[in-house]
Amino acid sequence: MESLTILYLTYTFISFYFLTIYILTYTQNRKQIYETIKPDETKSLSIIIPCFNGEKDIAKTIEAHLSSNYQGLKKIIVVDDCSTDNSASIIKQYAKKYPQVLYVKTPKNTGNAAGAKNYGSKFVKTKLIGFSDDDSTPQKNAISKMVGFFNDDKVGAVTSRVLVTGKQNFLTRSQAIEYKIIAFTRKLLGFLESIYVTNGPLSVYRKKAFDQVGGFDIKNLTEDIEITWHFVSKGWKVHMAIPAIVHTYPPTTIKTWFRQRIRWNVGGLQTIAKYRKQFLNTGMLGLFIMPFFALSWFLGITGLFFLSYRFSQYIMMKFLVAKYSVAANVALVTRDSFTLNPSILFFFGMLLFALGLIYTITALAYSKESGRLTGHRIRDIFIYSIFYLLMYPPLLIVAFYKYLRGYNKW
Amino acid sequence: MLKSKKHVFWEALIITIVIFLAGLFLGMLVETNNSNKISNFYLQSEISLSDATATSRLIENENLDCEMLKESNIRVADRIYEEAKLLELYEDSGKITDNMKLLHKKYDLLRALLWISNQESLSKCENYNMIVYLYDYNTEDTGKKATQNVWSKILLNIKSQNSDILLLPIAANQNLTTIEYLTEKYQVKQFPALVINNNQILYQLETAEPLLDLLN
Repeated sequence: MESLTILYLTYTFISFYFLTIYILTYTQNRKQIYETIKPDETKSLSIIIPCFNGEKDIAKTIEAHLSSNYQGLKKIIVVDDCSTDNSASIIKQYAKKYPQVLYVKTPKNTGNAAGAKNYGSKFVKTKLIGFSDDDSTPQKNAISKMVGFFNDDKVGAVTSRVLVTGKQNFLTRSQAIEYKIIAFTRKLLGFLESIYVTNGPLSVYRKKAFDQVGGFDIKNLTEDIEITWHFVSKGWKVHMAIPAIVHTYPPTTIKTWFRQRIRWNVGGLQTIAKYRKQFLNTGMLGLFIMPFFALSWFLGITGLFFLSYRFSQYIMMKFLVAKYSVAANVALVTRDSFTLNPSILFFFGMLLFALGLIYTITALAYSKESGRLTGHRIRDIFIYSIFYLLMYPPLLIVAFYKYLRGYNKW
Repeated sequence: MLKSKKHVFWEALIITIVIFLAGLFLGMLVETNNSNKISNFYLQSEISLSDATATSRLIENENLDCEMLKESNIRVADRIYEEAKLLELYEDSGKITDNMKLLHKKYDLLRALLWISNQESLSKCENYNMIVYLYDYNTEDTGKKATQNVWSKILLNIKSQNSDILLLPIAANQNLTTIEYLTEKYQVKQFPALVINNNQILYQLETAEPLLDLLN
């Protein structure tokens, strides 16, 4: 067997294994996916919203939190990270009008969300501490759907489902699909105690656990991934409440999208590096989350390698054959060119693609936002499955390069 | 309360292994079936070659009809050529077993035998042309692969316009002593190369004309 065939089979095996894990987890837990837990008691909660030049959306975010139906929400602490726009005056107006809202300002710009979040946490005296981005609007009942998970004393964090809102173009439509799939996958990972990120738009932590891990790591570009791994490494459980919905504005241009994803991936690598000693150690972090993360990288990069290698060879071959055929005055295409006899590798690839597509459609169907099966056009699912996902492997390589170069831009 | 279901890791592993093994087994079955099909063709071609070789020997002793010999040899060569096309198709899709590669070698040897058996009859009869196309089977060079692809098309064109051509494409670097001996005998220095009527060698074939000029 050729080495490329062995590599391809390894790639397919790992991908197939992960997909099977998801499919089995789904089939075994599908009735519990939307499950929420009634809280034993009303735990007090403070929400922290870090804000830097967020004048455009901060009012909507504060209002969304003010309209929360969770009785235990005591404080909405908006941390002004030395904004240079009109954010401060907007926040102050709300603070003046609503006693629940507290305006605090960092002594100097922290340069990242983690710094502002940690600063805001100093003002919290409640049992639970929640964080929300300045451009994210949770639904009225979002927090109420999350807090019941804290009945279990071992639960340190509960995260929500992020959905996109705002401008519509091919990129945001693809992200809308992506966010739903991420949420669905995260929920499934929750059944395996393997949630690897508590998202920035809305997550709630047990204050005791938050203090134990020392808050967010300000050196990490994805402080929400890092803190989750920290929680898991300390033995805290992390859950996701899929009915708790928070809307956020995704990047609308390729440039901003690329920059965001580079940050996410460099942050992911920083986190892997930080927790490398836990790799394959006992506990879900070492035995599943880290290998899962590392293998996702491997799959993305080897997938790109395969595709680029095969595609460039195919194009080069076709070009040269066409060039020489024209010079030799022979037919460019013969009947034999259309004879197909696909190999077993082709069928493995097709099976994987079909399973991936079924998984995508199932995840979308579970979003139940619209009356339609998936809530998305077939065209958008196609664009997402073929083109959008293909943008990822090159991004991983750039992120890896930037990580090695010490990239640390928010 | 939500319960952890970690046993799913083992279940998924078992399912994946089972599906993979089933897929590999199915792939091996398909490839074995293909190689059996080709093996059957090969047996028939071997018989035809033996028949043609025997005819060649008869001509040396009994002054047999050159026309009959030509037809017999070209028929065998054409038959092997058609079967080799099918073999090539199966070979491209054969990823698990090496059966097809071995069969390719056998066919190359069969064509080498046809080349040998035609050496004397060609010089005696001179009523047909023999083109031996020696190509590089193991090359990874895309440029060379493209060149060989176009040479095949040119040769097929020539062959379709001229029925008096015995065309023998042979993979040169298959570690077969007979083929190595023949390439040394005709002093073929590189591949691809064309040995025309056992006395001319072409290393360049941009158009059909230079080759047509060398044919009888």
